[in-house]
Amino acid sequence: MTAIAEEARAVWRARSLVWVLTRREIAARNAGSAGGWLWSYAQPLLMVAAYYLVFDVVFAMRLGDNAPTRAVGAFLVVGALPWMAFCDTVSRAMNSLIDAGSLLQRSPLPAVLFPVRSALASTVIYAPIMLALALAYTPLHRFNPALVAMLPLLVLQLLLSLVLGYLLAIFAAAMRDTLQVVAFLLSVGIFLSPVLFPATMFPQHWRWVLWLNPMSAPVTGYQAILLQGQWPEWSAWLVTMGWLVLLIAVLGIVVSRSRDQLADWL
Amino acid sequence: MSGPAGVHGAVLRASDLGKEYRLYDSPRQRLAALLTGRASYRSQWALQRVSFELRRGQCMGVVGDNGAGKSTLLKLIAGTLRPSTGSLAKLGRITAILELGAGFHPEFSGRDNLFFGGSLIGIGQAQMQQLQDSIIEFSELGDAIDRPVKTYSSGMAVRLAFALVTAVEPDVLIVDEALAVGDQHFQKKCVERIEAFRGNGCTILFCSHSLYHVRQLCDVALWLHQGQQRSCGPTERVLAAYESHVREQNLKDEAPPGSAGAAASSSRHAAVLEPQRRGAILSVDVPNLGTGEPPLLAGPDLKVTVVARLVDGERPSIGVMLEQKHGVGITVAATHADGASAVLGSDGLWRATVTFPALPLHSGEYVLSAYLADSQGLVIYDEWLHCTFFAWENPSLVPGLLQLPHHWT
Repeated sequence: MTAIAEEARAVWRARSLVWVLTRREIAARNAGSAGGWLWSYAQPLLMVAAYYLVFDVVFAMRLGDNAPTRAVGAFLVVGALPWMAFCDTVSRAMNSLIDAGSLLQRSPLPAVLFPVRSALASTVIYAPIMLALALAYTPLHRFNPALVAMLPLLVLQLLLSLVLGYLLAIFAAAMRDTLQVVAFLLSVGIFLSPVLFPATMFPQHWRWVLWLNPMSAPVTGYQAILLQGQWPEWSAWLVTMGWLVLLIAVLGIVVSRSRDQLADWL
Repeated sequence: MSGPAGVHGAVLRASDLGKEYRLYDSPRQRLAALLTGRASYRSQWALQRVSFELRRGQCMGVVGDNGAGKSTLLKLIAGTLRPSTGSLAKLGRITAILELGAGFHPEFSGRDNLFFGGSLIGIGQAQMQQLQDSIIEFSELGDAIDRPVKTYSSGMAVRLAFALVTAVEPDVLIVDEALAVGDQHFQKKCVERIEAFRGNGCTILFCSHSLYHVRQLCDVALWLHQGQQRSCGPTERVLAAYESHVREQNLKDEAPPGSAGAAASSSRHAAVLEPQRRGAILSVDVPNLGTGEPPLLAGPDLKVTVVARLVDGERPSIGVMLEQKHGVGITVAATHADGASAVLGSDGLWRATVTFPALPLHSGEYVLSAYLADSQGLVIYDEWLHCTFFAWENPSLVPGLLQLPHHWT
């Protein structure tokens, strides 16, 4: 655990550099395109618009009685946005060390800055969209205080995807196959989550599979807040925290085992 | 060699420094090491038991064969690697000219990269605002600074990177063969800037295969051999030991040092300077050479005339080295060291003739090399290694290498 504290201190000491790196990362993602950073926001917003148009306007599909909402489009948007944010953050953080390899071999910067930079860059893009979505729902729930729960939930999701992304980045440095395996898991992960279907629609004896996905609990949290105007259930908080603690513990071990050699693996 | 850094004015102190690389047979072994904490690896010590102390203003040259651990040592001091054993105490700002231009993004402009690269080495936005004009001026990029870096030639990128990392004067400067960057004009500027730092009391760590430069620049030298510290101390003592080691190795490999000269002198008869070059040797002439293979030197004196061309307005230093046939150095004479100077002829060529009167060498075969450098002898513009072999017959039959001035009492 001292390893994690040391990493956190390194990030804090270099906080102004982290911010420079983050801004740079956002600019670099769309460098050379005329739209620039606007594309980063356009992609998720266009996806939201497409879901809404297709499922709620054109087909007007409805979910069953047990679902948190009737409109399929709204249900999909509320689950898919955080899931997209998670996939984006984890995969970019996972690639961050390999991408920064030549820099890390030549400069004394701590490696941890690079996954943090990638995670923050993704957050700067997705968090405002999520908060805007929450604002759009505020009048519907008559300014229900449960909407405040969005903030801690977003912070938890950021930490969760950062820790997982950094962990995977170290594994990817050790063995490049990690990239392929994780890309596959992220693409099928949406089926092992309550993003496409409410958890209640999963067969009872298969429902435990959902908890293998660290994003299942936060997604049910977002659905409770935005679709029903309710404070997320305690189980959602506990499971999310459980995942976070578990991942931090593993990360602490892996960081202390790899620290001296990490730059050589890149 | 005791007490923490700073107490005795030490800026840099390494005690028992060591670096172990763990070599895994496959990526799977690395994964196993991460998961279980135990894995079979072959340990390779790139550096072991290195201890030294550098005070403010000292310049240390690091020499050694390839793979001796020089780069590892510099990376440990720069902080890109962590030592496996021992400790390193550092004071103040450390700047490494290791590999320039890491972190430049090709899509962004030079100026943008300047600000970003500056923040990586601890130069904030406000400070960079003040520094940028002088950096751009030093890099000689002019208006190109606002073009994307991908449009730069490699020389331009390196110039920008060098100007950036040396924009703030460090307390410790690490130079790894970086004098070989850019064209000769820029090399000269780099050397001058490093010299200026040194004059201001900056401590310098210099790693080079050019023993000439190590001799010119360094007060102390460290010789690394297979990761171990073979010797550390005053430059001349360490380099003498290192050179005799190199000679032994050359003899073992049966590669006569003369063979290295053939490739180096390919531009031997270039009458016009190639662009990017500040100067070239045009001829090395020993007038009284007779016939034979190698030709026999006639007469008591050895005279060597070197003719060189330089870019306009620059004064050269011309050096001549005399060695035994197999590369045991005997003496070097250089105009800048002797307070002499080459003469500019009406044809625009520089000429210098050195005379060794009554050559006090014993009979044997010898070889000459010629060097052309800037007026301070720091930047080598051209060298003709082992360009002229000659034989010499001394009338006396006393064994030995050299007749030294002596008297009996």
